[in-house]
Amino acid sequence: MQTDDLISLMSVSSRPVDTGWLRRATWLSAFAALAATAGLVLLTLGIRPDFTSAWTTLPVIAKVAFGASIAAIALVLFQNSLRPGLKPARRLPFIALPLLAAAGWALLALAQAPAEQWHALIFGRYWRACLIAVPLYALLPLVVLLLLARRGAPVDSTLTGACAGLASAGLATVAYSLHCPDDTVPFLATWYTIATAIMAALGALILPRFLRW
Amino acid sequence: MSLQELETQLRPIFLAALAGDAAAYRLFLDTIGVRLRGYLRQMLARAGRVEASEVEDVLQETLLALHLSRHTYDAASPVTAWAHAIARYKLVDHLRRSGRHAGALPLDDEVRQLAGPAESAAADARLDLSRAMGALPERTRRLIDQVKLQGASVADAAAAAGMTETAAKVAIHRGLQAMARFLSKRRGKP
Repeated sequence: MQTDDLISLMSVSSRPVDTGWLRRATWLSAFAALAATAGLVLLTLGIRPDFTSAWTTLPVIAKVAFGASIAAIALVLFQNSLRPGLKPARRLPFIALPLLAAAGWALLALAQAPAEQWHALIFGRYWRACLIAVPLYALLPLVVLLLLARRGAPVDSTLTGACAGLASAGLATVAYSLHCPDDTVPFLATWYTIATAIMAALGALILPRFLRW
Repeated sequence: MSLQELETQLRPIFLAALAGDAAAYRLFLDTIGVRLRGYLRQMLARAGRVEASEVEDVLQETLLALHLSRHTYDAASPVTAWAHAIARYKLVDHLRRSGRHAGALPLDDEVRQLAGPAESAAADARLDLSRAMGALPERTRRLIDQVKLQGASVADAAAAAGMTETAAKVAIHRGLQAMARFLSKRRGKP
């Protein structure tokens, strides 16, 4: 086939194109995945018994804000990474903002507490559960974002994968806050950050295999 | 021609094309096509590939990718940067798939090069796209043949096949999708 023939075929069969679809689909899928993950948390682990009194306390709000801000920043970058020519990698450092804020707050909390409480503040009661549960629940949004990424045109699939991993960890953090009974900021800054890093690495390593186009 | 001039020329016609103007789309593809051919020829030459048919193959694959990725264009960004990023991705993919030079691709990540020498002389492609067409369902292939070879309008080809014009456009679109999938799947072929 001649290139000219190909061009004719493409132009005669062309129809109006919606360039906003990818953006809307990203946010809709993220909300749907968040709802599904929260449902899964409630179904498998159940809500924390003191939820009604706890959800307005500062540490729980901090947990949700931490997860939501990571997810929001990562989703913007993710969506941009599906559009060739935008170079969102330059804005990747923004993802460090919520992590640094949590770390700073955690250090402050530790500095104000006597040293013998540090262990309890950092490890809480269920740090292993958090470290396992957040990445496991994050798999659900990760798969949703993977399916969406296949509809885009990722030219840097490692970046797309990393952003999908970060976003899914953020969403899972929000969902898991329905259950997680550990409410200290040092706990949040340690284990949730590690869980987020695990998901970023997992996304960056695994997703590119499914994102060739 | 400077990159800025190229952008100024391409942007309005591409936006019109996205809104459904087929003539503007044709003009866009013709204009970006000669630019991409020049760019790809230069880049492939740097990788030690000088065959014109290979340039034409990568060009066709890139044009297909542009076509099928139009929804990924961000209306606030330069259309030249978008097209260049896609061309570069397809070029790297092509070299990886087909080459010994997979390790060190001597490529420049400069969108400016799209504004380099244009290359309007089309060469014969190798058989890649024709082979991709062979993998299509009979009905789609006949439709494409009528529009492509016999120059029939989509409306006429659709009437001949007993389908509506919209259905024919969708069928051709699916055919192009299948061809792109076929091209990106084949591996290890020189």
